[in-house]
Amino acid sequence: HTCLHIHDNVLICRNYKGDVDMAEIDHFMPLLMQHEEEGLICPVISHGNVHFLWIKHSNLYLVAMTNKNSNASLVYSFLYKLVEVFTEYFKELEEESIQDNFVVVYELLDELMDFGFPQTTDSKILQEYITQEGAKLEVAKSKVPTTVTNAVSWRSEGIKYKKNEVFIDVIESINVLVNANGSVMSSDIVGSIKLKTMLSGMPELRLGLNDRVLFALTGRDKGKTVVMEDVKFHQCVRLSRFESDRTISFIPPDGESELMSYRINTHVKPLIWIESVIEKFSHSRVEIMVKAKGQFKKQSVANNVEVRVPVPSDADSPKFKTSTGHAKYVPEKNLVVWTIKSFPGGKEFLMRAHFGLPSVENDELEGKPPITVKFEIPYFTVSGIQVRYMKIIEKSGYQALPWVRYITQSGDYQLRTNV
Amino acid sequence: MPYLGSEDMVKELRRALSNPNVQSDQLRYRNTILKVIRAMSQGVDVSGLFSEIVKACATVDIVQKKLVYVFLCSYAALNPELSLLVINTLRKDCQDPNPMVRSLALRNMTNLRLSSLVEYVEQPLTAGLRDRAACVRRVAVLGWAKLHNLQPNSEIDATVVNELYSLLRDPDPVVMVNCLRALEEILKEEGGVAINKPIAHHLLNRLKECDVWGQCEVLRILERYRPQSDDELFDILSLLDTSLVSQHPPVMAATLSLFLSLCSALPAVSLSALERVRAPLLAACGSTSRELRFTALCHIQLLLRSVPGLMGAHYKRFFCGYAEPAYIKQRKMQVLVELVNDENVAMLLDELKGYCTDVNTDTAQAAISAIGRIGRSYSDQCLQILTGLLGLKQEHITSAVVQTMRDLVWVCPQCSDTVCLALEGCEENLQDTQGRQALLWLLGVYGERISSAPYVLEVFIDGVRSETSLEVKMELLTATLRLFLCRPAETQDMLGRLLHYCIEEETDMCVRDQALLYYHLLHCGIEETRKVLQGRRSDPSLGVLIGRPVEPISQWAHSFNTLEPLRQGTVTTDSSNKGSPEHVTSDPKPNSDLSDDLKPCQIETVQTASDSASLCTEYSTDALSSSAVAPLSLSLSPALSPEEFERLWLQRQSLHAEQGGEEKEDGDYLCTEECVQCPTIPHCSPQNLQAALQLVNIQTLAFTPPHTLPWRVYLYTHTHSSCSASKPPSTLILGELLYTGEPKEDCSKMVMEGSHEQLTTEGEEAAVDRLRGRESARQQSQTEDVKVTLKQQPRDDKALKGFLSVLTTVLHTLSTETT
Repeated sequence: HTCLHIHDNVLICRNYKGDVDMAEIDHFMPLLMQHEEEGLICPVISHGNVHFLWIKHSNLYLVAMTNKNSNASLVYSFLYKLVEVFTEYFKELEEESIQDNFVVVYELLDELMDFGFPQTTDSKILQEYITQEGAKLEVAKSKVPTTVTNAVSWRSEGIKYKKNEVFIDVIESINVLVNANGSVMSSDIVGSIKLKTMLSGMPELRLGLNDRVLFALTGRDKGKTVVMEDVKFHQCVRLSRFESDRTISFIPPDGESELMSYRINTHVKPLIWIESVIEKFSHSRVEIMVKAKGQFKKQSVANNVEVRVPVPSDADSPKFKTSTGHAKYVPEKNLVVWTIKSFPGGKEFLMRAHFGLPSVENDELEGKPPITVKFEIPYFTVSGIQVRYMKIIEKSGYQALPWVRYITQSGDYQLRTNV
Repeated sequence: MPYLGSEDMVKELRRALSNPNVQSDQLRYRNTILKVIRAMSQGVDVSGLFSEIVKACATVDIVQKKLVYVFLCSYAALNPELSLLVINTLRKDCQDPNPMVRSLALRNMTNLRLSSLVEYVEQPLTAGLRDRAACVRRVAVLGWAKLHNLQPNSEIDATVVNELYSLLRDPDPVVMVNCLRALEEILKEEGGVAINKPIAHHLLNRLKECDVWGQCEVLRILERYRPQSDDELFDILSLLDTSLVSQHPPVMAATLSLFLSLCSALPAVSLSALERVRAPLLAACGSTSRELRFTALCHIQLLLRSVPGLMGAHYKRFFCGYAEPAYIKQRKMQVLVELVNDENVAMLLDELKGYCTDVNTDTAQAAISAIGRIGRSYSDQCLQILTGLLGLKQEHITSAVVQTMRDLVWVCPQCSDTVCLALEGCEENLQDTQGRQALLWLLGVYGERISSAPYVLEVFIDGVRSETSLEVKMELLTATLRLFLCRPAETQDMLGRLLHYCIEEETDMCVRDQALLYYHLLHCGIEETRKVLQGRRSDPSLGVLIGRPVEPISQWAHSFNTLEPLRQGTVTTDSSNKGSPEHVTSDPKPNSDLSDDLKPCQIETVQTASDSASLCTEYSTDALSSSAVAPLSLSLSPALSPEEFERLWLQRQSLHAEQGGEEKEDGDYLCTEECVQCPTIPHCSPQNLQAALQLVNIQTLAFTPPHTLPWRVYLYTHTHSSCSASKPPSTLILGELLYTGEPKEDCSKMVMEGSHEQLTTEGEEAAVDRLRGRESARQQSQTEDVKVTLKQQPRDDKALKGFLSVLTTVLHTLSTETT
């Protein structure tokens, strides 16, 4: 594929191959608008023989233009890679950050892709190519990027720390979809192991998990084990080792990185169970009763729980009663947000809400938005995954400390309602 | 678009750039250039500053260099002469000890896209290929591609090509991949980079070193390679196995594409590859990126065309989230429709019902039509939901429901009673053209069963003056005339008014002509009118397929992992055309009545257009006369429902089993077996077979997918013998084709039974639609011969022979085409 990449009112664009007329991009926004009006939005828009593949990030559109019948998933992956790289550079990727840093943006675009082909997309390596502070004057940075010739492309040599530590975060998000009649339609766990590496030199790390396949291989059957699916690793992990004996061994990138992600497709009991009764009395009122129950161990506590209950768009004069936490009406989103700072396992709480409805009914069709729940449970993983050990070996022989932290949070957590 | 005051801004910038004080202060100089670039990216035309900027090129400051290069690459084309000045600086930079400076210079030299500079660029590029820093080699390799792109007709330098080929062995994987890319570009005319065995194996061995992008490139290019032996092929496949289940969707897709191209002759291996990618594809469907989710869904649709059961157990993964964009929801629904089976139908319909009230009207309508499509197999449950939806009295829902009901009735006439009941009163909630058109069609065709039909039509006719839609008016004419034929007393007056209006006052020629035609038709008499207008009210042949026809992978493999599956419309109509009909094909268009008249000539077009089966019994009897059989015609009506077929079939089978005879006759019933040589028939695509059989009015009811054993087809038809009074006027024939796959004994059994039935011959033009675009790629032929066997009742040997010869001809035609 060929060309690239624009933002909003064409903030920045780069024509990598010169086989697409850059004026073509002017057709993009009108076409997009037109499709939006017709409700036919689609991530591919074509104009003549030029195809626009676009993604939207906050208020920006990233558009790839091509006149070939390209590989779509590759293009989208690349666009998302751009977002990832830019976000790492500018914290927020938005119109302002692009305008403020357009020099770096140009530099990045040049390194990321040449002649329409992705080149260096690892942000760790990019940092070595890119003169980060545009405003700071460095006269001809003469240091050769070490990774250019390095066998380990994601880590530079000569990194030094006074205190050698690794922080491991095991984060699991649970996705749940519960039907209006209370049956769980689908549920899965998406887990991710993140590292913050502060280690000197070129350390060799080995991570041990209570992976069922591994336990089966080594003939162990003690304790709880976990079956991981769709395991995805950072490029530093030696895949061949993992495939042969399930060992996760690697030379970590410096600083923060995501080592691996996985999905567990088991039926999990929804950690926070919601029962709701929403009664709508046309022309007069809506009565909402929501019961939330913590279906996890008593020792654990869910923090920052938010139960978001949809209400009709024409509701007014809210009244609330909660057994704990507080409820707030967010009219612009047609929601009641019930916040509970700390929600211990096994407990049950109640919220009642009362809204008035206008006597003239809004006859616009409204969807049935589900109740959504947000929460975080520290020191706990739903799947029961555990870091059994993290071995760190470096030729200088220093002692390093691994720190592990577990957290479970809500992902796409939806409970459908009857109203 | 230039901002106001841009000229002043350029002037200002020029002054600053040529100010010696600024030039001597590096930081100030750089900041001024920064302003130029900022102005440039805001759309100000700063091309006038070209010569000033060229001067700024000679600097040791990398940041400034980069800024200057951005400027130069944007405006070089406007100032080719001045650009020549930069080339010296760039060439000097190519000697810089810092590899970053070297690569930067090299890249921008080639990015200037000036053919006048080519001679100056070649030398540094050649040197760049041998640079010790990988980052320089990467740029140099692509530089040659850019150079070639600049002068596509120039002669290809063989030494460069050789050098690029040898750089495929470069230790840096990006250099390797870039070499592939560059050679692809340079050798485009010759079909791209040549992949021989050593190169292919080298690339395969280094695949793991590459990043995602590189892997995709390598995999794509490897599609060109053909392994020399089966052993080699399987070695390659096992090497690729881990990539096939890669968690990176682009890599997985590219690998599958390569698999399919390598295994195009091994359908079983391809099928197992599809099984392997199920998990990663499902994972991609749950990707956080909606575009990747969408892409995965579109590709799953492709896979389902060949392996309908692939995702059956995972239907819940295709349930829509509330906040998902409409394009994803609609694709998910299309997938859900494909996944429906006895176990999940209740759950699935319940879910789809929820989508019918989606705030996005397109999504809601898509959900309704999805229910309609499921209704072809599970009509009761679906009609209940559809009827319930009418109670919501929402315009867009009512419209979609009525259209869906019309399409459903067209395919499943047994639903008409429920539909007729449901239609009462829904005209109040219909505003849009398509919805009203659908209602009018139903009122016309089923008017005798809808008590309020004349009153509803009257409202339409009273409002015809203010009617803006051409389609509605034409449909109204047809509907009124049809209703007149079955309920003349109530309709005569309004029909007169309508015809009068349309002939005297209507300005649109189409409407007027249609009205005139009807007017003259009525003059010819009621019977004539009836013949023209009361054509087919349904086409059960479109819907009764039990086993979904399975397409060979090769039909879609070429479009896998491209943009094609994502393009709206292409796949939607494509996938909906196959197997079960869609609005496109089954839509009873307002002027279809007229084309009913033109049937014979339509059939002729089919005959010439299709070479897959060039016989048509009803209108041309050459096929039959050539086999010296009395004129015989086959017909599809009355339609036989799958249930009915099954009942009759089993009844006959048990009878047959009891007797245990090879041939059994009991006067009224004949059951015979015969073998016919028609190799490769079990490998031909079900669409082709079905279309071909339909041309001769043999209806297929169910298929096993091609290449599965035993391979079976169930079919039926009615025979008509026109010559003999002594013979039964018509017989029903049920048939089974069976292919067991054993070399010697394989035979297609043909079992036929007949029973008298009063028939009316009907035109059959559905095949027209079915045949369209049904060109399928063929698999390898088998050496074994295939045989056919026959039975019949009531005894009519001539009709049976006639039928057999027709069938044999069709099968032969198809198998010659297959080989």
